Amino acid sequence: MTENRWGSMLGSTAEDVLETMFFTSIEPADADAPPNERRLAVRLWFTGIPSGKLTLRVSEASARSLASNFLAAETDDPLPDAQLEAVVCELANMICGALLSQVGGEAHFRLSSPEPVEPGDFDPDLRPMKSLNLADGHLELWLELEEHAA
Amino acid sequence: MAYRVLIVDDSAVMRAFIRRIMLLSGIEAAEFLEAGDGGEALEILRREWVDVVLTDINMPGMDGEQLVRRLEQDDLLKSLPVVVVSTDRTESRVSQMISLGARGYVKKPFLPETLRAELERVLGASQ
Repeated sequence: MTENRWGSMLGSTAEDVLETMFFTSIEPADADAPPNERRLAVRLWFTGIPSGKLTLRVSEASARSLASNFLAAETDDPLPDAQLEAVVCELANMICGALLSQVGGEAHFRLSSPEPVEPGDFDPDLRPMKSLNLADGHLELWLELEEHAA
Repeated sequence: MAYRVLIVDDSAVMRAFIRRIMLLSGIEAAEFLEAGDGGEALEILRREWVDVVLTDINMPGMDGEQLVRRLEQDDLLKSLPVVVVSTDRTESRVSQMISLGARGYVKKPFLPETLRAELERVLGASQ
């Protein structure tokens, strides 16, 4: 499968998850996130066919909005950072699971628990496979696949 | 009728989401119990009676597949309806979990009405 095809499936899968579980729409146009925006990032590994890792990074403002929608927070107090991070982890988990269910045929797969990624762990030269506009920020996705032995 | 529901998921925010969706869907829940994996769920089920178990598959510790297998082997618990709630949307996984003993399967992401319909089907059939 070509990288464009992967990117397209990743985008449509993320859109489905965001609309269904986070009650959030995305803008149709892709966009690069502003470099100085404060962001949260998580990563998870998957094994099966294919194997690899998915990294998700989202602006803090969008993360707060997504968490508020997901948890139906009824308070004006900001959600604790740990809860914010847990919601972003769940978002990455759902996007990855839904994507693999489409591309892996009927093969079973396993997902690791998503973990926070420190800013220093990012390769600044690696562009996201998919970058999406949300109402109050951006969401970026990297999908890195392992080569399979013949 | 109000139900006692055990939600098994390693993500606390996902457990909170399921609780909220069930309440929004109009399903009467007398009480929600929660477990972070299959082992914790078994401990709860040995001392508490519930009407239905909602479980994820992919969890550290005892996963959802092992939990369903253990429940099926337990004479006291094998009749307890289990609904799987998972990101794994493959038909092979759905078939596997149903053949192991799960009564229902909800694929994430899901609409509130999907969860409600599956719970009503499973709980209706178990009465």
